[in-house]
Amino acid sequence: MSFFKRKAKSKEPERPADAKVNRGPAPPASLPSPSLGGVRNQHAIQEAAGPSHVAINVISANMDSFARGRTAILKKQPSHMEAAHFGDLGRSSVNYMSQETRSRLSKTLEQIVRDGVAAPYYVQFLETQGADHLVRFWLEAERFRSSSWSRVRAHNLNSVKHSSLAEPVPASPEGAEAPVAPGTPTTAAATTGLGLWDSSGEGPVPQVPHRETLGVDGDGRPGTPGTPSRQTPTSRTGTPLKQQSTSALRDLSDSLIKSIENEAVTIFTKNISPDATRPIPITEQIRNDIVAKICGEDGLVDPNCFVIAQSVVFIILETQHFTEFLRSHHFCKYQIEVLTSGSVFLADILFSESALFYFSEYMEKEEAVNVLQFWLAADNFQDQLAAKKGQYDGQEAQNDAMILYDKYFSLQATNPLGFGDSVRMEIESNICREGGPLPDCFTTPLRQAWTTMETVYMPGFLSSNLYYKYLSDLINSVRADEFVTTGTPAGQGGSADGDRGASSEASQAQHGTKKAAVRILKNFDEAITVDASSLDPEVLYQRPYAGKMTFGKVNELGQFIREAEPEPDVKKSKGSMFSLAMKKWVQGNSDEAQEEMAWKIAKMIVNDVIHQSNHDSPGKSTKGNPKAGRSPLEAAGATLV
Amino acid sequence: MATAPYNYSYIFKYIIIGDMGVGKSCLLHQFTEKKFMADCPHTIGVEFGTRIIEVSGQKIKLQIWDTAGQERFRAVTRSYYRGAAGALMVYDITRRSTYNHLSSWLTDARNLTNPNTVIILIGNKADLEAQRDVTYDEAKQFAEENGLLFLEASAKTGENVEDAFLEAAKKIYQNIQDGSLDLNAAESGVQHKPSAPQGGRLTSEPQPQREGCGC
Repeated sequence: MSFFKRKAKSKEPERPADAKVNRGPAPPASLPSPSLGGVRNQHAIQEAAGPSHVAINVISANMDSFARGRTAILKKQPSHMEAAHFGDLGRSSVNYMSQETRSRLSKTLEQIVRDGVAAPYYVQFLETQGADHLVRFWLEAERFRSSSWSRVRAHNLNSVKHSSLAEPVPASPEGAEAPVAPGTPTTAAATTGLGLWDSSGEGPVPQVPHRETLGVDGDGRPGTPGTPSRQTPTSRTGTPLKQQSTSALRDLSDSLIKSIENEAVTIFTKNISPDATRPIPITEQIRNDIVAKICGEDGLVDPNCFVIAQSVVFIILETQHFTEFLRSHHFCKYQIEVLTSGSVFLADILFSESALFYFSEYMEKEEAVNVLQFWLAADNFQDQLAAKKGQYDGQEAQNDAMILYDKYFSLQATNPLGFGDSVRMEIESNICREGGPLPDCFTTPLRQAWTTMETVYMPGFLSSNLYYKYLSDLINSVRADEFVTTGTPAGQGGSADGDRGASSEASQAQHGTKKAAVRILKNFDEAITVDASSLDPEVLYQRPYAGKMTFGKVNELGQFIREAEPEPDVKKSKGSMFSLAMKKWVQGNSDEAQEEMAWKIAKMIVNDVIHQSNHDSPGKSTKGNPKAGRSPLEAAGATLV
Repeated sequence: MATAPYNYSYIFKYIIIGDMGVGKSCLLHQFTEKKFMADCPHTIGVEFGTRIIEVSGQKIKLQIWDTAGQERFRAVTRSYYRGAAGALMVYDITRRSTYNHLSSWLTDARNLTNPNTVIILIGNKADLEAQRDVTYDEAKQFAEENGLLFLEASAKTGENVEDAFLEAAKKIYQNIQDGSLDLNAAESGVQHKPSAPQGGRLTSEPQPQREGCGC
């Protein structure tokens, strides 16, 4: 169950264990993102869409300890590379497989709809386009399809078991456990299935009859949708209570069939039938086909009945509603969520062009750009070779590989990277092999380059100003899209560039974005404070307030406006600069906000009074000394504050 | 490349695209190293080079991604188009085919980059006048029809190479100034480091974030 609790909000201690889980055989319709994938039900989907509402809870809790936790995660990031940890699929250097590394930040439509974290953002985006019914249908149909197949299989398994009841097997206690913990992620399939199924109400139904047969029919699997596809039916049926189990199984099969039917009909009525409120655009022919498949002759619904409609919808989504999504602020929000989840992998950076833009700059500053260049070139080379699936010109491939060899490996290399002799010789033999190099020709040095970037450079990058700037840009692009920021009352005096992005927005920022930004601040609480001041020399010598050389001035209302940086000592303490900024946003009833309100109201009253006195007697208004002018103000201020 | 860190206020991301052998890598090399690579091998996948230029008194670093022109690398290089502030679309004036393929490259560029991305058409190998296969005028017309800047250049002699990159940068900078390019958007292809920090709580005046550094 812990797997499902692990969304963006929770911490990563579960990660290695969960990653192990996901190393199981990849199921056909699975959530490929193991790290943030645990979406349990519809409610959770909505939750995931607003990651920061959890952050709010956290903030009202002890902020500092949370910050420590977050940064601790960042700091111990490379730990997943130890041999003991599997890391995520292909992302850690321990299991570097060039074809499997993907960025969670750059997704195809296929990946997005199957990703429990990204999908909600896509739904939100489509809502603004008025096309969300398409993706909702697709998601429902997909869920129906995979759950139905599992249930059908379960039904078949039961029938098979029926006949093989002769085998005497001790009722294993394992069977007892299976129905009890329906959410046990024994396989990756479970994640898909259960992630979307619990809300369907089908869950409890099959389980109930099974509890009766617990000790006997150790096969608790049919009751747990999703798991039967993986666990082999070991014959655990006990013979003595065969009769009881038979009838229970039959009831079970009936209820399974019924539930599949109900679900299919629901989906049909909601999306496909001609009088649905928002029907998906499919032809009459397809519609009839679906009807035929639902009302099959043998009384069973074909789990694949919606597949054709799904592909039609998918094409529409892909052609009309995808590119815009990638440019939208919803996608930015998703990226923000990934980037602030507390564990960013090198794959996320290298396979996302926007992150790569910043990372390249970072590597150049670190004078390690060669490593990156090599990795890019060799990875691209291997990718395009692999994509050919064996049908490529060996000579051409060899020439390409030789170019890389000459540049990075040979003893007269123009950009030597310091690969050892053994690696060099391995590359030589890989390139010169009969038939030309294979798509895994450079895997060893690629892995070394990957490890180098992961351990040596990425931690620094993730706590660098550049990265923070990247996040700020993401947040700002979300803001810019979501609402017009007319004015930006300046926040805390910006000491770092990134700070500007974080603290300069008005406190009227919308909830969602504000929270997203708040989460980011939390993530980089400690790390960024240290780096911001040390990395940016400009800031060290520049005195933004030097020009004025005053402490403040008094405006026409008698309000003292500070010129100097407020509470400079606060900045030195860890993280509180950001904490203050956050407080300002989150707690609308802070002292300062109240005071501001008070001044605003006071100003209104004063204006009113002046207006009135101007009307009454033009002469009188000037006779008052400043004190008189202020007393209504002070009175107002006194009553309000 | 010893660049004084923090010397620049902006970083623009460029991509260079075009058929193989038109001289993309040579253009880049000429621009960043001021040398002509006579025998440069073809690019594998992508490479990038950087250089700092100055536009309107602002120092701008260009991060230029040079893509492989070979068809077999087309799929992998497509993933580098996104988030580019500027694109150099290069053809070879001595080979007609490279000019004819421009529409395909342009389609890719338009589909995969931002609507605001500045695209400049470069007719390379201008020094080989004797073997010219594409006239200046027709290319100029093509560029105008499609809203592209246009220059003929020679990576060998260096003619117009700097201008090629500079013109695009000027246009991008102009877009930033007049607001059509949002500086703080993540996919804009522009990194912005104000050299002077934005103001603190001095007044309630709005600080327009688009104005770059406040100098």
